[in-house]
Amino acid sequence: MDVKRDRPVVPASVSDGPTGDGLVAGARSIAKGFAYTARAGVSKPLTVRYPKEKLTVSPRWRGPLALRGVLGRDEIPLLRAPSYAYNETIDGLYRADRLPPCVGSCPANVDARGQAYLIADDRVVEAYELVRDRNILPGVLGRICHHPCESACKRNFFDEPIAIRPLHRFAFEEYRKVRHERISPFPRTQGKSVCIVGSGPSGLAAAYDLLKLGYRVVMYERERKPGGALNTGVPAYRLPREVLYEEIDDIVGLGLELNTGVEVGKDVTLPSLMREHDAVLLAVGLQQSRILPIPGTDAEGVVGALEFLWSANFKHEAGVRGKRVLVIGGGNVAVDVARCALRVGASEVRLACLESESEMPCHPWEIAEALDEGVIAMCSLGPEEVLTKHDTVVGMRMRSCLSVFDEMGRFAPKFGDETTDVPTDVVVFAIGQAPKIDTIVAGTELLVSGRGQLVVDGTLFTTSVPGVFACGEIVTGPGSAIGSIATGHEAAVSIHRYLQGLPLDGDRVARPVPVYQKHAPADTRGIESNRRRAVMPMADPEERAKDFRQVELGLTRQEATAEAMRCLRCESEVCVGCTFCARTCPDYAIKVERVDEAGARCLTRYDLDLTKCCFCGLCAEQCPTKALHHTGQYELSFWHRDLMVFDKGEMLRPPTGTRATGRDGISPPGCPVPRREDG
Amino acid sequence: MSSLLLGILWGVAGVLVIAGGAVIGVWWERKVAGHIQLRYGPQQIGPAGSLQMLADVPKLLFKEDIVPSGADRPLFKWAPLMAFAPVAAAMAVIPFAAGWAPFDTSVGVLFFLAVPSLEVVAILVAAWAQRNSYAAIGGLRAASQMIAYEVPRTLAVAPLVLLAGSLRPTEVVAAWRWWWLPLLAIAFVVYLIASIAEMNRGPFDLPEAESELVAGYFADYSGMRWAIFMMAEYGAVITASLFAAATFLGAGWPFSGALGVVALVVKTSVLVTIVMWTKWTLPRVRQDQLLRFCWVVLVPATLVQLAIVGVVLPWM
Repeated sequence: MDVKRDRPVVPASVSDGPTGDGLVAGARSIAKGFAYTARAGVSKPLTVRYPKEKLTVSPRWRGPLALRGVLGRDEIPLLRAPSYAYNETIDGLYRADRLPPCVGSCPANVDARGQAYLIADDRVVEAYELVRDRNILPGVLGRICHHPCESACKRNFFDEPIAIRPLHRFAFEEYRKVRHERISPFPRTQGKSVCIVGSGPSGLAAAYDLLKLGYRVVMYERERKPGGALNTGVPAYRLPREVLYEEIDDIVGLGLELNTGVEVGKDVTLPSLMREHDAVLLAVGLQQSRILPIPGTDAEGVVGALEFLWSANFKHEAGVRGKRVLVIGGGNVAVDVARCALRVGASEVRLACLESESEMPCHPWEIAEALDEGVIAMCSLGPEEVLTKHDTVVGMRMRSCLSVFDEMGRFAPKFGDETTDVPTDVVVFAIGQAPKIDTIVAGTELLVSGRGQLVVDGTLFTTSVPGVFACGEIVTGPGSAIGSIATGHEAAVSIHRYLQGLPLDGDRVARPVPVYQKHAPADTRGIESNRRRAVMPMADPEERAKDFRQVELGLTRQEATAEAMRCLRCESEVCVGCTFCARTCPDYAIKVERVDEAGARCLTRYDLDLTKCCFCGLCAEQCPTKALHHTGQYELSFWHRDLMVFDKGEMLRPPTGTRATGRDGISPPGCPVPRREDG
Repeated sequence: MSSLLLGILWGVAGVLVIAGGAVIGVWWERKVAGHIQLRYGPQQIGPAGSLQMLADVPKLLFKEDIVPSGADRPLFKWAPLMAFAPVAAAMAVIPFAAGWAPFDTSVGVLFFLAVPSLEVVAILVAAWAQRNSYAAIGGLRAASQMIAYEVPRTLAVAPLVLLAGSLRPTEVVAAWRWWWLPLLAIAFVVYLIASIAEMNRGPFDLPEAESELVAGYFADYSGMRWAIFMMAEYGAVITASLFAAATFLGAGWPFSGALGVVALVVKTSVLVTIVMWTKWTLPRVRQDQLLRFCWVVLVPATLVQLAIVGVVLPWM
């Protein structure tokens, strides 16, 4: 047998001893080492002597810590290890705020996320119907809403918010082409009927909800045309009336019995309506303008904002042609009045308000548009006296205003000494509206407060009489249309519970958090994506100020779909391929690849290099969709690492598909795939 | 019967002495190591941290007694005691004063050399029982090293026996004269070096090289069983130093009686300190260096020493 007998050879570089040459040198070297350590042993240590710490126990210490009976809670079980329950708790915490910011900040919780998805997926009509479920007049609100959703949009942090309001309008423009096919009355399943007084947004919202629940709904409107303040107050250049009437027609088509030109309290009485119907909802809004109690307001040429807007909208003539107009007030109504005054031929329009430029209560884009059109704004001026000559307005004396709000933020104007006389022919007071319900409530036991306001429960929308409810601005005071719509929805819930004999509060969830469908990634093939917000085209300021044409011209289909694609689909827990995680990562641990193609908003590769990851969690922190989120397994053990990596792979999985692939089972979701054939 | 009881009593006494010595030894080693490395060492508990071990011992006692799932359970559990017992037994024959040893036997020196070498068996058992590659390597290194260094150690003690003419330790102490010290210098140094290798302490700590074998033959031991291994090591340090102080350095010389015992303790302490000093001075040697040093340096040196004593003795 051939046995290898090589001795292991010590490499030449390895010495035998410390010096490698001889016993004496080695011994000397060792002695040197001993001498060195001995010297070190007797010299003073270099380290710092730790201060002595006394072990002290607080006299209040009563053994191991336990939390018992705090805030009514029972003892909290001690978590020894991340158990299943613990992980579930953490998971629940992350899912608790699953409401997208747009939906959460909308008073009526309109599903703007779903709208963007459906428009991007080329299902515009479905998008309209989804929006209408909460915002009963998407076409109208798409023109006039003050869009709190856009202010809350998470894209504000990255570039510009999604144009949610213009998308409502776009959806309506698409929907109106097919609206006759889509409308059929709701089946009437309940044998009870509800009467709604007033056809404003809140009344219509309540009517829609009640119709959906199967009630008979009868609505009375004083004007010849329905719409309430939308009809009488909102200027036509912002809201063409045919849009309003079309959308109300749709609700009539759903089963609403609408009686216009009937004034409750004159043509019919409230007590008779209460006898006739099982419940009555007062959605009458605010009917009269407030006018300041200052000298000269009874002179000719002093008008209220509502009266002015009414005549401007319906007659296109407010008696100010060639005259100078002074609008008192700084709110949105004042701006509407000023812009209308221009359109009905005023030679000069001034707007005077107490607040300074930065404090004006109107929306900044409103005043900006008004200034574009030639309105002159005069800030920090308080009305002192209407100057009259022969009982006709000739001017207005204004006193300088130093501050409007006190330190607590309450309305408490402080005035200076100097006054200014503003020559004018017409003074329009746009300082707020007040309810006028004395004729309506006549003959009932409804309580009305000393200031003429109906007594209403602000959360249940009940009045002092059972079966009579109220909603809209009569409850909330002057506010936004979408805010009124939200109260209409709540009032409908109250009415439903009342008619079903359920307690009005009890187990009722006030303003329940809506849970909307999360949707798989949209099929965006062929849409040229755009990072910037679609710019709303506007009519020329010089031209538009002459008549009541629309100022905003609307988005094209291409703009709208590209805009809808910008939506980050917050909290949908489905990755939209925004790659913000990779851009945020301070360690460059995340590597993503995207398809570089029009409409291909998808990841083809997602790598998380855990050897670089520092577990800061910034990626999950900023993930808009929450597709990437912390789990309870937030430790550096291999098993948990596997779990985390799997989580990230899983996030590419749409709820409908299989694993990390798309609809065709091959490509990742959102990638250009053959368009689905829907029957 | 009474001799059995006496044996048990002495056994308990020996264990207590070794345990106490280990407690003091660990503290002293930490202080020595600290000062050599320009640190303070333990200083918080007791004066100069001297009560540190009183805190450490309960900690070790309350630690979980882990037995690896693949281990040979009975052997794993008994191996630490098997390692400790020979060290404790060696204590019995040490002559603490002229004419007095706990167990004064005519073959005492042989006993002292033979019984502690049984420890190598215990170490092999421990290494094998853990079913751990590191432990196995440590055990094999311990076997080769300890058996090899038996030879110079025994040869270093042989001149003493030649001079005293007896294997009874008490008689060796009685026969001791001061001039033995220079005469047996080589044997003393060789004895000390070989003992350090027997104890598996630095620079001959290959079997338990922490940086290579994560504690070697007791890699998987924890809690009190690990502590018993450490106690055996310190016991070996103490017994070897005591024996050297008693036989090579003349026990209580130049005093007698109680002062003699004090002198013995002082000498032992100095030797223990030298052993520690060595550990914290010299780096660990390689296996081939270890064995070559044994056979090329230490064994010839003891043979030279034996020859010197063999020539001087007849001349006397």
